[in-house]
Amino acid sequence: MSDQYIYAVGRIRVMETRLLDAAKINRMAEAPDAEEAFKVLGETEYAAHLADFQDVNRFEEVLAAEQRRVYLELRKMLPDSALIDLFAYQFDYHNLKVLLKAARLKENRDDLLIPDVGNIPLEELVMAVSSGDYSQLPERMRTAAEKITADFQPYLVDLWLDRALYEELLAGAKRLRSAFLQGYFTALTDLLNIKTFIRVKRLKGSADFLAAALLPGGKLDLLNLLSLEDTLEEMAERLADTPYAQVVAEGLASYQQTETLTRYEKLVDNYLLDYIKQAKYTVIGFEPVVGYLLAKENELKLIRIIMVGKINQLPVAEIRERLRDVYV
Amino acid sequence: MLGLDSGLLYAIFGAALAVLLAGIGSAISVGRVGQAAAGVVSEDPDKFGSTLILQALPGTQGIYGLLVGFLVLQRTGLIGGAPAALTVEQGLAFFFACLPIAIGGMVSAFAQGKTAISGVHLVAKRPEESGKAIIFAVMVETYAVLSLLMSILTLFGIQV
Repeated sequence: MSDQYIYAVGRIRVMETRLLDAAKINRMAEAPDAEEAFKVLGETEYAAHLADFQDVNRFEEVLAAEQRRVYLELRKMLPDSALIDLFAYQFDYHNLKVLLKAARLKENRDDLLIPDVGNIPLEELVMAVSSGDYSQLPERMRTAAEKITADFQPYLVDLWLDRALYEELLAGAKRLRSAFLQGYFTALTDLLNIKTFIRVKRLKGSADFLAAALLPGGKLDLLNLLSLEDTLEEMAERLADTPYAQVVAEGLASYQQTETLTRYEKLVDNYLLDYIKQAKYTVIGFEPVVGYLLAKENELKLIRIIMVGKINQLPVAEIRERLRDVYV
Repeated sequence: MLGLDSGLLYAIFGAALAVLLAGIGSAISVGRVGQAAAGVVSEDPDKFGSTLILQALPGTQGIYGLLVGFLVLQRTGLIGGAPAALTVEQGLAFFFACLPIAIGGMVSAFAQGKTAISGVHLVAKRPEESGKAIIFAVMVETYAVLSLLMSILTLFGIQV
């Protein structure tokens, strides 16, 4: 039994009670306008940030502030940083992508950077990109960055860095010897790969490009399982005895009608959230911390969907259609 | 060595185990529940009362162990009289009498600790249900009490 997370999980259990429940999310979705929806946040733990950013159009800043607060808070309460590092890698990789692209296009896109939450100080990344010397970066990141600068193509920035990130995540899950995390990242990788497959298929990309675009580490060997010539029905059929059968069947059916993957993405999020929910029943272990962190990410996503919908005056039904489940 | 019979040494060994093992189980479990409770209280100080009760529950096994150890010392005359001259068989009988609370106590303390941590989490989520959380943890106490009972009955059955 690993005792080191008992204290943190005790705190998490109280923090979970402050997550937005389905009723609050519903109230936000049903609010007559963006202002009213935003006001609902004032009754939650977002209230502290609302004081700083009162304007509805600055809701992104509220979400960023909350995300920053949660990551910093979790880092403080855990005995070691390995777990949060794992989830914070995505910000390092995101920042590096932004910096690499901005440097090449000679634009300043600092507005897209996410400071403070990542593992690598932003200045270090800025320095590495401006000097072209990546030797201080973690190994996987360095190799990817060097490959990108050697042969710069905008789509390769995402491709190489995403590969490196997902390798990093799976390696980290193995290091933590967590079947729970490995299962999560494997499912995430598989579901993203299925999406990539559909996109490459739509763009009539080559098999070679597909092989490069698929992330490593999934459970499904999509290259052998599917072929780019398959129809959507055939794809769904071939994936029918995988755990993702229902997500794929429903997602692809909706893709066929609407030509968008919005529904698939929602189903993926719900599938992963369902997986994460098993953490609610763990008494001793770090799973509840992961559960809380991902529940928070999910909550930020929900609020973003609602606020964007409200600001663009989408009908309630349409906003609802896009909403994901909640963790609590 | 100290002029004690080897029979008496077995009895002392048993008494030591009863206190040690049951005490280890209780110490670790009370510690764990305390960590969980500290986490909850640091977010919500009002939960101190009910989490404290939950923390105390797995502590009883250590007390039961001490009680059995004490009874062994008393029955063998190590306190309150002259040490009895025990045969090896009698000494071993005392030793075996200690095993239920030593092992049963330790294992039930671990089990109760886990249940109490779950209870602390329950209180974090639903403070109004703290009574139920306590009852769940108290259920485990049954098996510590049964172990204690077995140890005591055996102790008093041994002829000195």
